[in-house]
Amino acid sequence: MTRTEFWQGNTACAEGALAAGCNFFGGYPITPSTEVAEHMASELPKRNGVFIQMEDEIASMASIIGASWTGARAMTATSGPGFSLMMENIGFAAMTETPCVVVNVQRGGPSTGQPTMAAQGDMLQARFGSHGDYSIIALCPATVQEMYEMTVKAFNLADTYRVPVFLMADEVVGHMREKIIIPDAVERVPRRELARGTLPFHTGGDLAPGFPQFGRGYSVHVTGLTHDERGYPAATNPKLHAALVQRLVDKIELARDTIADYDIINPDAEDLFIAYGAPVRTVQQVMHDRPKEKIGFLRLRTVWPFPEKALSLFKNAKRVLVPEMNLGQMAREFERHTKVSVISIPKLGGELHTPDELVAVLEAR
Amino acid sequence: MSFDEWYRQDRLPHIYCAGCGNGTIINCTLAAVDQMGWKKEETVFVSGIGCSSRAPGYIVTDSLHTTHGRAIAFATGVKMANPDLNVVVFTGDGDLAAIGGNHFIHGCRRNIDLTVVCMNNQIYGMTGGQGSPTTPMGCTSSTTPYGCTEIPFDLCELAIAAGANYVSRWTSYHVKELEKAVKVGLETKGFSFIEAMVQCPTAFGRRNKFKQVADHVEYLRAHSILKAKVDRMTGAGETVPEGLFVVGELAKRNRPYLGAKMVAKTEAKPGEKS
Amino acid sequence: MKLAIDETRCKGCNLCTKVCPYKIFREGRKPNRKGTIVPALDRPERCTNCRLRNLYGRTLCGVCQLTCPDQAISWVEEEPYERKKVAIEY
Repeated sequence: MTRTEFWQGNTACAEGALAAGCNFFGGYPITPSTEVAEHMASELPKRNGVFIQMEDEIASMASIIGASWTGARAMTATSGPGFSLMMENIGFAAMTETPCVVVNVQRGGPSTGQPTMAAQGDMLQARFGSHGDYSIIALCPATVQEMYEMTVKAFNLADTYRVPVFLMADEVVGHMREKIIIPDAVERVPRRELARGTLPFHTGGDLAPGFPQFGRGYSVHVTGLTHDERGYPAATNPKLHAALVQRLVDKIELARDTIADYDIINPDAEDLFIAYGAPVRTVQQVMHDRPKEKIGFLRLRTVWPFPEKALSLFKNAKRVLVPEMNLGQMAREFERHTKVSVISIPKLGGELHTPDELVAVLEAR
Repeated sequence: MSFDEWYRQDRLPHIYCAGCGNGTIINCTLAAVDQMGWKKEETVFVSGIGCSSRAPGYIVTDSLHTTHGRAIAFATGVKMANPDLNVVVFTGDGDLAAIGGNHFIHGCRRNIDLTVVCMNNQIYGMTGGQGSPTTPMGCTSSTTPYGCTEIPFDLCELAIAAGANYVSRWTSYHVKELEKAVKVGLETKGFSFIEAMVQCPTAFGRRNKFKQVADHVEYLRAHSILKAKVDRMTGAGETVPEGLFVVGELAKRNRPYLGAKMVAKTEAKPGEKS
Repeated sequence: MKLAIDETRCKGCNLCTKVCPYKIFREGRKPNRKGTIVPALDRPERCTNCRLRNLYGRTLCGVCQLTCPDQAISWVEEEPYERKKVAIEY
């Protein structure tokens, strides 16, 4: 029996994690994501899981990587300033192919900025924040229901691709209360274990290698240094480094179409909105208010890796309108993938776009 | 079984310079681990960045070579998620006291069941000999060319003040004592901190008038004073000579700790699908 | 048992010459193939561990092995004495 609740986005996120089998949470309080940690603190001990409040976000990220290597489904939640601190160990997780989930309930930046207001200013940081080349997966929920479902999905993607997965929520979605329907059970994709007798970082043609869990006799050496298939450091081998980094990027980028998750509305329209996260709600309102007009809408749930194929599905598009709660971070990415003119509709300050603001751009032909 | 069996034989010889004391400390730690009778699959070595932190790469167990200073935070995650694993952390003075200072004091405060072995060579060796938080005053390094003017950290005092259950200090000369201290550390529940003063002939000795490796080891031997002797001298009202560092078991207590093994629990462990 | 220095591992730091209570390890003279001056053994039969380890069933002393930063010192079993037939060709 499904049940209906009236939950805050952050609660839905925590409940989604629990449904997905999350059994380790290492966190540090930060507005506006703290409710995720609070909910996990009260629920995890009841379910034989571990909640630990670390001394900072650097340690939070470190602890979930450590926990993940013992086989735990591990998660942390933070916001902009904490996300910045986590970047070091996010790079480590990418290099060592550690599955983990990081929830970033975005707030206004830079620096301490607007702790209680929404923003989408961390979209490029999520993709490129740590040094060096790597790829990650980032999901953007726009409703409380999606906070639940996408948290589950984030765990499954993390375990499938052995990569850190970000849930790039924002303060609007995190603190909003909405009706949510809780399913009886959710799909759990288990982590593929390393085949015995295989070198720990040998992929054998697959994109991601099997997982050699600590405590099971694999004797694996995990290092952030450039490593060979045995896991041993080989930092001065140019070919090996190139191949390793290329594989870390390829395992995500070549799976774009599989990871991609988006809705397409009116694919033959000339005016096209692209949105992710909270601005989706404003676009939906505009479309609801103007039922007679044919307005195209590409609603992204997966933002990274960028689902470029989705753009080409709008054959007649003449204008792409991109409302974002930043100064056009993703609009730049869309420009790279389409010849149609991309019009960024940035909004700073922490409030959602009003429908009127979008209509004004829509009508200014 | 001997401690030699804990080494990844295909990785030796290691990258340490000739005369580096780190190899000695790994020997002593592995000898203690060997005496504990632990299985290799139940033991995890964690480290950060630096010379000392290369150690887990030479040990044939699951090992985690992490980011600079964060070893204790990673180890906390490993230990909390699966308390049945025996977790040993290798770290150095720069890794532990400078960039990882916060994780260190909070590891001590939580009193989490880890054993931390710190190879204190009083310098940043891997990057070529820069001053560290434990470089003694007056010593030259590449970033203190006119002599270090800052007061160094006493790591053991820090660990005791922050709440670690077991704290001891030895040097790379006192191999038998160090081996025993590590073993007591491994046996002690809660946070065990063992500081091992080591020689660094390449980055420290070269700039501080230790022409031979043995000279530096002799210096460490001659400048260490037993805890028992210090207690005796202070008890008798004598003044303890300056410029010496105290070696021995500096703290052993039984404070509540984190990360107890799940012996009695029948439910699924974290890390196993329920 | 007898003492053995693994020349592929020894880096020639001479710490063993400092710590051995019997001064069995002496500084070497000639560099080996790798250019390392490996210490020489002076009457190694004096080593307690060589003589008594098998009798006591544990390592005695063993300070040189613990101290050696390069894991180059070990004890190896001596091959038991075997009578060998020597054929003399005329």
